[in-house]
Amino acid sequence: MKRLMMLGLLLAGGAAIAQAPPPPKPETLASRPAATGGEALYLEHCASCHAPNGMGTGLLARRVQPALLEARDNLPAQYVIMAARQGIGNMPAIPRGEVSDDELKQIADYLAAGPHEAAQ
Amino acid sequence: MADVPLSPGFTAARLSQAQRAFESVLGAGKVFFEPLDRTTYADKFAVDNAAHQPAGAIAPSTVEEVQGALRIANEHRLPVWPISRGKNLGYGGSAPLLSGSVVMDLSRMKKIEFNEEFGTVLLEPGVGFYDLYDFIQKHNLPYWLSTPGNSWGSVIGNALDRGVGYTPYGENTKHLCGMEVVLPTGEVVRTGMGAFSGSPSWGAYPFGFGPGWDQMFVQSNFGVVTKANMWLMPEPESLMGMDVEFDRPEDLGAMVDTIAPLRRERVLQQSPSIGNWMRAAAVVTRRGEWTDKPGALDDSVIDAIRKRFGIGWWGVSLRLYGREEINKAAYKVLEQAMKAIGPMSIKPTSWVKGQPMEYSGWTGTPITYAMQSANWYGARGGHIGFSPVIPQNGAAALAQFRRTYDRYREYGMDYQGSFAFGERHLTNVNAMNFNKDDPAMMARIDPFFRQLVADARAQGYGEYRTHLDYMDLVAETYDWGGGAIRKLNETVKDALDPNGILAPGKSGIWPKGQGRRAGEQS
Repeated sequence: MKRLMMLGLLLAGGAAIAQAPPPPKPETLASRPAATGGEALYLEHCASCHAPNGMGTGLLARRVQPALLEARDNLPAQYVIMAARQGIGNMPAIPRGEVSDDELKQIADYLAAGPHEAAQ
Repeated sequence: MADVPLSPGFTAARLSQAQRAFESVLGAGKVFFEPLDRTTYADKFAVDNAAHQPAGAIAPSTVEEVQGALRIANEHRLPVWPISRGKNLGYGGSAPLLSGSVVMDLSRMKKIEFNEEFGTVLLEPGVGFYDLYDFIQKHNLPYWLSTPGNSWGSVIGNALDRGVGYTPYGENTKHLCGMEVVLPTGEVVRTGMGAFSGSPSWGAYPFGFGPGWDQMFVQSNFGVVTKANMWLMPEPESLMGMDVEFDRPEDLGAMVDTIAPLRRERVLQQSPSIGNWMRAAAVVTRRGEWTDKPGALDDSVIDAIRKRFGIGWWGVSLRLYGREEINKAAYKVLEQAMKAIGPMSIKPTSWVKGQPMEYSGWTGTPITYAMQSANWYGARGGHIGFSPVIPQNGAAALAQFRRTYDRYREYGMDYQGSFAFGERHLTNVNAMNFNKDDPAMMARIDPFFRQLVADARAQGYGEYRTHLDYMDLVAETYDWGGGAIRKLNETVKDALDPNGILAPGKSGIWPKGQGRRAGEQS
């Protein structure tokens, strides 16, 4: 989890903040080719913000540990669905046109079964 | 459906009829009219929560389904608001300008056709930067993306809104090369070489024969873009450059006047962006860690933040891409130019193919962490941007900064500003970070924004892009010749969209009898 604290220290279009470690590589399906089901959907729809280099992980790290959703052992599926559909904190709501109810259920079930080895 | 927002003159009964028609053509799994659907498509960063309410949404996944949906919209005279992925946060996100519109969510259209030989890619609008990055990683393709600070969104959606990245391909709209567009009445047209049946050069030559139409579908409401070609940058052999910090606000003028000639000469082939201390700091810290005083931050707090993070009042990153020997020579030119204007610090960077890579916008890596700045006030945050186009001139930039900074302090807002280079212009991006849980602050945003528009207009500066709330206001500032460009836009709109169903009000372009053309005030 130490690498979570490295997040967000370099701006895309601005100067680097001194002595900041570099952000890690994005996690996508290509980085976990064996992923299927809820894990694959998580990588496709959630990892942009909730992988180690994402905004969601960076903001969650300010108030909860572990910040990586895949490392959590306390995410009920219904809570995940509610947070995604209603939005939470700075996270916008995820509409059904983007992630269907069936896809969101698979993602929620995957997170509810955590923690997952991929996040360790 | 008693509480469903309706566009002017529309009825709940007609909306129900249209919903059933959408379901018959698209299937119920692509039609969303529940109350929760309406909130999920609202603008997360809205200043006025009551504005821009959708009636529902549909998610066609093929060109034929887009055509079918537009046919229904015409039959029912129902306004439809297309979005690619709806992630342009700060400009309205997935919400429609006109309340009562149905959002046409294209995020399920995710086809990618990649031409590895030429580095061109044909994309559907649902393909996000992460999707395309994943495709490139999976197939080990030697190309880099041009990603914006929020890379959650659509690749072609960003180019269609004139978004920017940070590599030499950073002016994304310039790298569109031929499109497929469904016109408001349902006909499909292909632009550029796509108009020539079987042409192998659709993604290679942007103009075709006769008039070129690609920019007509950028920031417009003249059609639904269902495919677009884009050019990608070949992976360079070398990436070199420097992160440079300057100590004083007044250093901005010399920075602009030093970098601008290098950009015009194309020693610098990417477009640097000069940002103030807050652009860097707001990503990694929150205001509450430094002060609980309301109003704009005073200099002592700014100094403390800068000292903690080792940053200047302004910072800029310069990058060189291509052959290593050429980059080494160009680096010497940059170094000499920047040292001559007294920087606080210069931090060189260097990468050669095969070495570990920096995963940032400089390497076309998709990122989202820069959006952490929305949490500056610690509560439910958000931002909108005020971004006029100004001359590429140090004195003009410094005057624009001072004028704007004074307004930020007058309205009690923390200044986050940047000056992004094009080849011949600067875009002065001013982010207004706000706290949606502070009603007093939220009440100041609208008058503050309107004041900045008026200030810029007095200088002859117009915005390049704006939030839904201000599309009419900004369009009105483009007033040469008695509003000749508005009249042309309206003539085209009326010809292509006789029923006025496609994105009414987008970029200030209203169909006949609606919005400003019906006498409504912006």
